[in-house]
Amino acid sequence: MRSLFRPRHRKPGQDVGQPSQHLANEGGLLPARLALALALLYLLIPLAATLVFGLSGSHGWGDLSSLGAVFGDPDFWQTLLTSLGLAAGTTVLVILLLTPTVYQVHLRLPQVQPLLEALALLPFAVPPIVLGTGLLQEYNGAATNSPLVDLLSLGLVPLLSNVFPLLDLPLLLICAYVIVALPFAYRAIDNSLRAVDVRVLTEAAASLGAGWWRTLLLVILPNIWPGILTAALLTFSTVMGELTLASLFNTYTFPIYLNMTGQNDPHRAALLAVLSFLLTLLCVLGMVPATRPRTGGGRAALPGQIEGAGPR
Amino acid sequence: MLSQALDEEGGRAQSGMAGEKRREQPLARRSAWRLAGLLAWSILVPFLLFCLLFELLPVVITIQGSLTNGGTGGLSLAGYQRLLAQASNLRAFQNSVALSLVTALIGGLLGAVAAYGLASLRQSWLRNLLISFCSIAANFAGVPLAFAFVATLGVTGFVTVALRSWLHLDLYALGFSIYQFWGLVLVYVYFQLPLMILVTLPAFTGLRPEWREAAINLGASPAGYWWRVALPILFPSLVAGTMLLFANSFGAFATAYALAQGNINLVPILIDFLVNGNVTVDFGLGDALAVGMMGLLLAVVALYTTMLRRASRWQGR
Repeated sequence: MRSLFRPRHRKPGQDVGQPSQHLANEGGLLPARLALALALLYLLIPLAATLVFGLSGSHGWGDLSSLGAVFGDPDFWQTLLTSLGLAAGTTVLVILLLTPTVYQVHLRLPQVQPLLEALALLPFAVPPIVLGTGLLQEYNGAATNSPLVDLLSLGLVPLLSNVFPLLDLPLLLICAYVIVALPFAYRAIDNSLRAVDVRVLTEAAASLGAGWWRTLLLVILPNIWPGILTAALLTFSTVMGELTLASLFNTYTFPIYLNMTGQNDPHRAALLAVLSFLLTLLCVLGMVPATRPRTGGGRAALPGQIEGAGPR
Repeated sequence: MLSQALDEEGGRAQSGMAGEKRREQPLARRSAWRLAGLLAWSILVPFLLFCLLFELLPVVITIQGSLTNGGTGGLSLAGYQRLLAQASNLRAFQNSVALSLVTALIGGLLGAVAAYGLASLRQSWLRNLLISFCSIAANFAGVPLAFAFVATLGVTGFVTVALRSWLHLDLYALGFSIYQFWGLVLVYVYFQLPLMILVTLPAFTGLRPEWREAAINLGASPAGYWWRVALPILFPSLVAGTMLLFANSFGAFATAYALAQGNINLVPILIDFLVNGNVTVDFGLGDALAVGMMGLLLAVVALYTTMLRRASRWQGR
């Protein structure tokens, strides 16, 4: 999908962060660089130790029997598939819900911006364990009888409580994951929309006869794809590692398999940790082309502005 | 926070309507405008409805549940009374706050200084590489992180064994355990540190050279520049970053759960035990604990946004 309107081009040599040569002659540089080295050492040592520990196996160095055992386990593949499905479903839902909404707010309804900001900030105050506790009570059918919630939801909660068990899909879990991913998915998409002139692009498209959806799909989307990609990969990597909600909703996902197998065999646990690290690595590397800011002073989705992502 | 946003929005909508009246448009055009306005809003309906159903109503039902008597359904403060009556519940809050505070301060302090070190690097490829590495480390949490630390600092972990055989230093004989408070602090700092580097980096790259030159021209020493100019500018960003770290570790569950299998008394672990237990489920006390968590986190998030707004003044956003 190539856009007709691509007014901003990336300048070669423009990097993440501003060039900061002026900092070079300031005081306190040596301690700061030492702190940076210390921090990097702190982040690297557990990774290296885990790799060595995982590869050394229970029968000495180079014993890869636990790797074979991991890949031979049908539960490994089954839970991996479940988690991949959940992550894909959540990612699609997050993008579908957020992109038209944030675009419309930027274009026509800037007064709704504070509400969106508040909704995207609330998950910081409602951690997954609290959200899960609330959702369990909200959608357990007749057991929790709350006329207030039934009324506030326009009768949708009782309806959905009856629909969710009928479908053999962890739909409620996917909806919960959408909320967990909301803060950083919103931030990434919002930042990328701020970096382009939504109004000018839309007016240009409209003058050529494009409608709202056509403009979004063929003009706006190609211009903000780095933000969408960042949002998608952050959502994906969070869902792949999320344990709290899956355990509350009794869904046998990859992190739960990881936790169960790892508790008995620390060497296998170390190998699985390395595998998970590689998965995170792939997701973040996928974001790298998306993190280079465009020209024009706009804020692109820098990794530094993605706050509090990841399963805890 | 939310109600404030809603008030603000309501205020703007009202003033918009007043402006429309003043112009005195013909009736037909006015209703056409109103129809267009409705259509503009209709795009937001799916998202707002979704947030109502899966974000706001769970909060409402938790607050309601904490104020309801489980048996009769009447209004009752029994949940909170039970929360306050048991020393282990208060102990869980104490542990959670202490853990979050200690890891936020360690991660915040070291992370901020390291972010300055990162901002001062001249080689942009190195800076980008390290930023990417920090993003990976900040995302590497939960069960795999717990396992990585067991492999590193567990009883038979690589570093534990190495220290014992090379330096004759037995960490576990000295009273250290990865499964207790200070062990958990080390694990949490692993994801706090890179997060602090990432969120404060823009503040350090935003320090303008003109400010420093002006301070020096006016006779400030480098220490004076830092104390009187740079730190006051950086202060809101640093506080906001630390608040984010606090909220981040206060709600963390998977890492502590995988590491200690529920043997450490933290609020999220306690809530999970109450509502996810195999024997009995106690939503009353669980809801009260959850409301306590939300109350504390709401204050932290409020301070976070206030500081972020103040910080944005200097970053020309």
